[in-house]
Amino acid sequence: MEPFLASLIWLFPYFGAILMAILYISGVKKELPYSITTATSLFIAALLATIVGVHVLESGKPVLDVHHWIPWINVNVSTYIDGLSAIMTMLVSWLSFLIGVYSIEYMKGDWGYPRYFFFFSFFVGSMLLVVSAENLLMLFIGWEGTGLASYALIGHWYTDEEEYWVGVPGRKALGLPMYFEPSHSGLRAIMFTRFGDIGMLIGMAVIYHLTGTLSIRGIASAAGGWSGALAAKGMLTLVLILLTLGAFAKSAQFPFHEWLVTAMTGPTPVSALIHAATMVKAGIYFVLRFAPIIFTGALLSGSHLAILQTREYFLIVAGIGAVTAFILATMALVSNEFKLILAFSTASQIGYMFLAAGAAGAIIAEANKYLFASGIAASLAHLMSHAIFKAALFLISGWALHVAHSRFIDKMGDYAKYMKITAISIWLAGLSLAGIPPLSGFFSKELTLKAAEDAGLTWVYILGAVTAILTAAYTTRLIIRVFHMHPYEPSEHKPHEAPPLMLVPYTILALAALTFGLAWKYMGRVLSRASELTLSLGSPASLAIHLTSHVAMVLGGALSTIGIVAALYLAWHVNFRELIKKSVAARITFNFLFDRWYINSIIYLLFVVGFIGVSYMLWAVDFGIDWFYHIGLVVFAGVASLAIRALHRGRPEYYNAMYLILTALGLLLFVLEWLR
Amino acid sequence: MYKMELGFPLWWISVWLPVIVGLGAWLGEVENKKAIKVVAVLSALTLAIPGIALIVLYAVGAVSQGVLDPWYLHLGNRGIVALAVDGLSAPVVAGVSIVTSIVAVYSIKYMRTRIEEMRREGEKVPGMGAYYFLYNTFSAAMLGLALSTNLVEFYIFLELTLIPSYLLIAYWGYGDRKRISMLYFIWTHIGAVLFLTGILYYGIKTGTFDYMLVPQLKPLGNIEGILGTTAKFVAFLMMLGLMIKMAVFGVHMWLPYAHAEAPTPVSALLSPNLIGLAGYAMARILVPAFPDVIIGWRNYLVFWAFLTIVYGGLVALRQTDFKRFLAYSSVSQMGYLLLGISSMTALGIAGAMLHYLVHAIGKAILFMTAGLFITELHGLRDIRKMGGMAKLYPLTAAAALFGFMNLVGMPPSPGLWSEWLVILGTTKVYSSSYGQLLLISVAFLLALSVSAAYSFVTMRKIFYGQLRSKIEKKEMRSILLITILLVVAIGLIVFFASGPIIGDLKAATYKLMSLGG
Repeated sequence: MEPFLASLIWLFPYFGAILMAILYISGVKKELPYSITTATSLFIAALLATIVGVHVLESGKPVLDVHHWIPWINVNVSTYIDGLSAIMTMLVSWLSFLIGVYSIEYMKGDWGYPRYFFFFSFFVGSMLLVVSAENLLMLFIGWEGTGLASYALIGHWYTDEEEYWVGVPGRKALGLPMYFEPSHSGLRAIMFTRFGDIGMLIGMAVIYHLTGTLSIRGIASAAGGWSGALAAKGMLTLVLILLTLGAFAKSAQFPFHEWLVTAMTGPTPVSALIHAATMVKAGIYFVLRFAPIIFTGALLSGSHLAILQTREYFLIVAGIGAVTAFILATMALVSNEFKLILAFSTASQIGYMFLAAGAAGAIIAEANKYLFASGIAASLAHLMSHAIFKAALFLISGWALHVAHSRFIDKMGDYAKYMKITAISIWLAGLSLAGIPPLSGFFSKELTLKAAEDAGLTWVYILGAVTAILTAAYTTRLIIRVFHMHPYEPSEHKPHEAPPLMLVPYTILALAALTFGLAWKYMGRVLSRASELTLSLGSPASLAIHLTSHVAMVLGGALSTIGIVAALYLAWHVNFRELIKKSVAARITFNFLFDRWYINSIIYLLFVVGFIGVSYMLWAVDFGIDWFYHIGLVVFAGVASLAIRALHRGRPEYYNAMYLILTALGLLLFVLEWLR
Repeated sequence: MYKMELGFPLWWISVWLPVIVGLGAWLGEVENKKAIKVVAVLSALTLAIPGIALIVLYAVGAVSQGVLDPWYLHLGNRGIVALAVDGLSAPVVAGVSIVTSIVAVYSIKYMRTRIEEMRREGEKVPGMGAYYFLYNTFSAAMLGLALSTNLVEFYIFLELTLIPSYLLIAYWGYGDRKRISMLYFIWTHIGAVLFLTGILYYGIKTGTFDYMLVPQLKPLGNIEGILGTTAKFVAFLMMLGLMIKMAVFGVHMWLPYAHAEAPTPVSALLSPNLIGLAGYAMARILVPAFPDVIIGWRNYLVFWAFLTIVYGGLVALRQTDFKRFLAYSSVSQMGYLLLGISSMTALGIAGAMLHYLVHAIGKAILFMTAGLFITELHGLRDIRKMGGMAKLYPLTAAAALFGFMNLVGMPPSPGLWSEWLVILGTTKVYSSSYGQLLLISVAFLLALSVSAAYSFVTMRKIFYGQLRSKIEKKEMRSILLITILLVVAIGLIVFFASGPIIGDLKAATYKLMSLGG
């Protein structure tokens, strides 16, 4: 295998983006050249990713391609496809291609067409770079590239018309607005993620100083050394948190989840690709990439302190994951916007992945590599199955929003009557999200919970299990409301089935959720193989589900929740809107959840309002400095000059008086001195 | 690797040619359109000479050992007056050359509009010929500063930057330009005089005014031993003088006035190029001469650098005038230069010098954007009246975004490299204990977030949302836009081609550090 093929995987989408930039600058206005360029470059990338990925998994040999760039600081253009990267590149590239095709139809006639596809391709290149880079700084370049594309695409409709907002216009929480324009959302996205990235840079720098390399393989092989050295100074946990701070922010984990929620102002295919299937997974990818390195490093260092601090770190990861999963799931229960429900759900599901990775790492005390690998593989499995079914759900939401001319589910209804294929697709994807067998989501979710169980993290497990039930509830509510009930607020637009370019991609994805579930034995083998071939992991993993009492409980809970929610709406016709109007307790709960636990307002009050306050204060300080130099000093000099000049006006009587006074003073001093 | 002595006096030519072109334009009283274009292109070409030479020199690998001009003059115990480039000054020379040469072309349209406007208002101002004379002298003097090897020479060039830039503001500036130009002159002159006092001590005590040995092109080295107890005092005088020039927090007050009210092409030179040269002088002169003194001050300097970054950034957030906003952002960016230098590590200093180039590119783009709006939209520079500009000016918006990315340090802008080097340099010193690392992390999180905040918030205010005033114009492929895009292209090239630049910075900073400390 020619190693350069591995680099071409991420280079091709970039080529596409460059070509489109040239087209745009040279004044090409037609849509076709842009969509063809995008589709072609993404298709080639996907093919290459498959060729390289399959080769790696079959031959068992990772592919490495290195080119020097900046030798002093050890920055090399290096691509490395091992088990983890093989799965990720294939997943990302094929999803991107499918969603790219969907976009061609979805974005038709949009005034920002060329810009959309430029950033779309740029995003795919960056994302593929993230998941295949071998050099930390290359990874970071891809990482920032995805951030930039995400910023640009969230704010795609930057003219901020109300139809593109997210949130209910006029609604406020703690005095702060809870509705966001696209340009505001883009700003939020880049600020939240950028904050984490700064931590990541510092973490990278500290490790670089200890190892002298930015090569991930180099860092892995020196892991025992730096892990032990940092642990001895009590700094290991801090450094690891800094290093993965970017991952938490990118993957929208509490308290950084706020940016993802409002990212829904972007065009729906963007939400599907960037804010559900791929970019938000970059964070968990980073954790999965480094967890084995950290794990084996602590074991290799042979230091008790390293193991303790590593376990502490992984417990934090698992805790944040579980908390995010739970909090965001509760928000999804009450939301009234189709895409917003899915966004809450995305952050919540990524919480599961962090939960599994953290729980796997917490096993370090037992030094059981097989259990660890199983936990990591569980996280990867959930990443994969979630990427597929959530992309399907988002693509369907794109069509639903288009048909309803609204983002609110109250204005949608009865879609099952008009679009049969879409209804089947959403049920497949939705039940996969709810964790119902034989869909892929069932297996992957149970595996993440199993990881928590294996690590003995009771609270994490309980939060995860409760979240599973909440997930079933909000998914069912969403599908029943939109597809099987009359709309609360009838609209004049009559629904109809989606055109093929949009219908086919999400149907394929929904079927994939089913197929992967049915063929879980095979999928499990592939993932176990990938785990075996992953850097620093090198162990097969167990991805089989046995029907234990735990599994039965969670599954039973989810199934009965689906039944109950369906019955509440369809059989008993409970009107929750009336309920909230009548009961005070219900209203308070509703507001608390609807306003996202007030987390957004608290962050704004602490940071945004706080900093605006400080900046006003400093502005005043600046006036003070300005006044001091340019008025105070000048006036002082003027007055002083006046005073001194007043003494030099050539009046003899005045000089005589001065002469006498000074002489008298001098004499007085002389006498006083003499008397002493 | 070999040290190269040029076969002909390239550096002297690149300093003098622009001045001669300018002199010709002034004496010839150039006024008609065609002649102005010729002058502008000639100025741009002559100013581009060192930049183009550097590309060649990097390509043949000559920069790391230094490239000396064959003409140098012995001044007895005042040292040797020579011009040379090495890895440390190369990014600075490149920054000056790129920006001054492109802005020379940009000036054609901008200044013609400005002069017409002023004359319409009944003011008697000199014409384009005089402008190009002053502009070229100013630019050439900045090149001279970066190429100098001797303090006498350095000081002469320093004053030579000051006088033309003062006149440029006084003649064609905005607002209360007479007062502001005087304010600018006095402030920076105070800085220069403090520095001069230091220079005199330095020269008299050490017996030479050289800071680089010619023809070896090595730093003179540590002179603390020679100066004895006065070392701290001399270092303080020079540092304070340079800090005023650089406009760090506390002595920054002249900058927002001067940079906001200068004619925009001049702002694009003043803001990134001139003030950054003070940072270059710190690295070039003070770091090798007073290493222990500066290491002794390190904690205070690092604190001051962070303070400058955060202060400048937060005050920038409150500005309503586009150019004044950019001026405060320059104050903030100077903090990064100071931070890299005061880390006293090879990595940090390399980062600071690269950030000079990065900031030159980024800030030039942004000032040129501001100037484009001023020219095309009848003096529009109030951010509150902008908004939604991206729809009318899509390419300008893209360019401005790239400019901001330089300030924030996002790829594919070269800002990534300078940011990374500064972080590497700083963490190298401050990561030996839990408390230190926590403190430095918090400082970086704060500083870089503030930079990102003012950049992207302003990007939104100016370019996104609905139009806030009636603008019927659309983007034209004017000379203003094309020159902006040219700077963007150069920025992208620097990002990809930073291997040799950073490699040669390594050689140069190691030399500084090893001879110094």
